[in-house]
Amino acid sequence: MPTQVLYGTETGNAEMLAEDIAGHIGADVANLADFDPAAFEAGTLYLIVTSTYGDGDLPASAKPFAEKMAAQQPDLSGVRFAVFGMGDSEYPETFNFGGKRIEEMMTAAGAVMVGERVTHDASGPDMADDLALPWADALMALA
Amino acid sequence: MHSIAIIGAGPAGCYCAQALAKALPDARIDILDARPVPYGLIRYGVAPDHQGTKAVIRQFERLFERQGVQFFGDVTLGRDVTLEALREMYDAVVLATGLDQDRKLGVPGDDLPGVLGSGVVTRAWNDAPDSTPPQIGARVVVIGNGNVAVDLVRLLAKTDAECEGSDLTLTLPPVTRIDVVGRSPAEAAKFDPVMLKELGRLGAASIQVHGAEGEGKVIEALATLNGHAPEGARCAVHFHFGWVPEAIEGDTRVTAARFARGAERLSLPCDTVLTAIGFDGSRQEADVEGRIAPGLYTTGWARRGPRGTIPENRADAMQVAATIAADLGPGGKPRRDALAPLVPQAVGYAGWQRIDEAERAAAPEGRVRAKIRTRVAMLALAQRGE
Repeated sequence: MPTQVLYGTETGNAEMLAEDIAGHIGADVANLADFDPAAFEAGTLYLIVTSTYGDGDLPASAKPFAEKMAAQQPDLSGVRFAVFGMGDSEYPETFNFGGKRIEEMMTAAGAVMVGERVTHDASGPDMADDLALPWADALMALA
Repeated sequence: MHSIAIIGAGPAGCYCAQALAKALPDARIDILDARPVPYGLIRYGVAPDHQGTKAVIRQFERLFERQGVQFFGDVTLGRDVTLEALREMYDAVVLATGLDQDRKLGVPGDDLPGVLGSGVVTRAWNDAPDSTPPQIGARVVVIGNGNVAVDLVRLLAKTDAECEGSDLTLTLPPVTRIDVVGRSPAEAAKFDPVMLKELGRLGAASIQVHGAEGEGKVIEALATLNGHAPEGARCAVHFHFGWVPEAIEGDTRVTAARFARGAERLSLPCDTVLTAIGFDGSRQEADVEGRIAPGLYTTGWARRGPRGTIPENRADAMQVAATIAADLGPGGKPRRDALAPLVPQAVGYAGWQRIDEAERAAAPEGRVRAKIRTRVAMLALAQRGE
């Protein structure tokens, strides 16, 4: 199945992880800031990596994408996606809201999420790659 | 092939190196820092209990570990090598030296013992090399309405258990009262709401907010904080707005801080005044794209002044890197081959890795790291095995 990695980033952490995932599974990678929802294709699996910033907000590079989604109201039936969120448990009330918002946005447009949304905690002991690469491998095995 | 030297291994310099490495994969990029260790304010400015924020370091590690960027630590511009010499050696030189002087209050008594700048305090709490633990008493006035003021309040109000998972190794004094005073009205305060909300989780501090009128996310966050009163609180935090500092009082040490709001006066008894009103230092005169002179650039706080968080410095560094990439001529200067013999004592990335490893290994119970606290000890560790 064709696969593409997308990322929303503010400090660059999600960008680096998305590039690592894309390199690991051999897929293309794009910044959500440069991605038009009209380009979503049924039959492609999108792996979306996003952080959370500020008070549970989307990171800067995902905001133009969210605006386009709201304006275009695309029909994403047949589109499959998975979300890897990056959060910081120092801020428990809004932990990983970025990933949650992307999931809600995609699901509301008719896309189907594959597997569970996974979250990395910047204040936790795990390296993001150690969670994300096996996550991507498992998705590729499903696809 | 192009060669670029960046002065300052803090967030501005590292983000600039990252963007340059992406735009010019063949360029040789060297980062110099006056400290023996990299990462600047990420390591010595970001609060020790915000390890998630410090995690951007993992991006920068990759510069040195995989992207061929070389670190020259313990190299001071003007002492070990001159800017003129660097400009001869490199096609482009970037000054990412930041601003590290605490801005003074500029009122009578602002130099009394007991008046401390936030930079001095946060560097000490972050175990900056050769810093001295600040003498902080039981009654503290914090002047400033930005995130640095919130960092000071939070760390002073936290219990030892609440610092679990941090790299704070100093024992902070048992403060009983903190007054946070801002010159502007609450509506104009520069706090990030999320930083204020974090104070609402303090388990041993009560919070009272005085005179926060208006609308907006900061006002909402302050309203949520007001009346926070965990059982057995040992510290009372009071926020005040719209008060202009008039004088710091005391003979041999601070005894009070006095403020004015129109005809009103507020005198707060205290033994310590912490100022968090911004930073000064040598700003660089540059054009809007970050050029100081041909082949010489600046980014980060040295360019824009002491405003903006990590992402803003990233955006700034990316823009300056794009300017540099567009300006570069044919290249071919002698680069690090010429620098290395001039600074034989420089700490390389492998030396930093030895320091890093030693710091992690020395972490006490409940902490992630115990930083090496003197330059001499850092250099000894860095040179071991070389």
